[in-house]
Amino acid sequence: MSDHRDDFIIALRYALLKKGAKQKFSLFFLISLSILIIGLDKISLPLIKTTRAILNDLVYQVSFVASTPGKFLDYLNNTKINHFNIVSKNNILKDEIEELEKDRYESLFLKTENINLKQALQLSKTRDTEGATSIMARVILEQNSPYLKSLSINKGKKDGIIKGMTVFSKNYLIGTIIESNYLTSRVLLITDLNSKIPVIIQETDINAILVGDGKKTDLTLEYLPDNYVLEANKAIFTSGKDGFLATGLPVAKTYLNKKNKIKVRSLADPQQAYIVYVTSGNVNN
Amino acid sequence: MNIIQNIKNFFLNNLAILIFYYLSFSTFEGFKEISDITIFAFNLQMIIVYLYGLKFPDYLGNGHIFLAGIINDVVIGIPLGVSSLSYLVMSFITSYVREATLRSKMSAEWIAFIPALFFSNLTYFIIVNNFSHLSFYYIELLQNTFFTFLFFPFFYYFFNYYQTKILKINA
Repeated sequence: MSDHRDDFIIALRYALLKKGAKQKFSLFFLISLSILIIGLDKISLPLIKTTRAILNDLVYQVSFVASTPGKFLDYLNNTKINHFNIVSKNNILKDEIEELEKDRYESLFLKTENINLKQALQLSKTRDTEGATSIMARVILEQNSPYLKSLSINKGKKDGIIKGMTVFSKNYLIGTIIESNYLTSRVLLITDLNSKIPVIIQETDINAILVGDGKKTDLTLEYLPDNYVLEANKAIFTSGKDGFLATGLPVAKTYLNKKNKIKVRSLADPQQAYIVYVTSGNVNN
Repeated sequence: MNIIQNIKNFFLNNLAILIFYYLSFSTFEGFKEISDITIFAFNLQMIIVYLYGLKFPDYLGNGHIFLAGIINDVVIGIPLGVSSLSYLVMSFITSYVREATLRSKMSAEWIAFIPALFFSNLTYFIIVNNFSHLSFYYIELLQNTFFTFLFFPFFYYFFNYYQTKILKINA
């Protein structure tokens, strides 16, 4: 029994401390170093933040190049799909529908706002995004891991992007900036589990929180009133109650799925975004 | 001619390290690249760490594992050092299994991959849960871990063949 325990301890010690013929570091040293880095990253000292930002910029650039073969596969796949569709006609119709949808959502929002204002005259905290700067950026990396649904874009602090800014693709909200480096930034997509947006439902004064589902475009509405029944084909807008997202941005809409259940779907497909627009929203307000 | 030969030798001898770094830099997740079969995502880094730690430890250094883990953390956007620690835990268990094994057998090594994956992922969960505010996609992670385990034999034979038949190294 004692011999067996000794053997176990010897094997453990050997695995931790012994360096192989070509190994420069022992496992014990590297594990300790990893724990130290995790601790330092958690503390978030200014020096660590700067180092991480530089490291992020470097890695994102290399990562952009490294993910090119994968993107090429995507490109081939898309080309194949497009070949079987009538591309030009489809695109023209899509644009028309998008314009009409945009107009419809704007009018629907105005209608909703009008009803609400009539009901509650004290609603004075509407926020104005006029004059907000819009920065065009390109998606360099799409991270769809089990941990974080995010995008990396090729604009950073150098271009005036700061944490909390809102990101749009084709006029629809797709996420917010959660990390801003000097040359690049990371966007947390609205489809991520960690994304929580205060919203209002069309033609009602019902407030809720729109939460990502981790799926491609599916979202969930949380904190709805107990007796409220969600209806299909209702637009969902930002309520601006979080203080940094502008009021009235169309984000999602409800629909009836194949199993006759009401679901919520994002208006934009964040995974298809290539060119995005970053706006200050109410960050500076 | 000599330079080309040297470059060729470099690539051949360091294939595992190059693949390992490439995987960390890119967002490769197995068959997830093909849009119709996203369910089959798996973690090739874990397979490489385990396989090389077990069979060819001199061809994938712990320093490379550590560095690739840091890069992976930056790309994914989780706290720095988490992937490194997770890979090093895997490497530690692999070293222990290597020392405790008398006769190498694929089926035994495949089964030993289960506790290695378990402890490695456990380290990951504990740190991400306690050192960040991120939420998990548990089902995706479970699927990922399951398919990592399932695809192990394929890569076992592939890398084994490469190292023993092409590079002519004894496992």
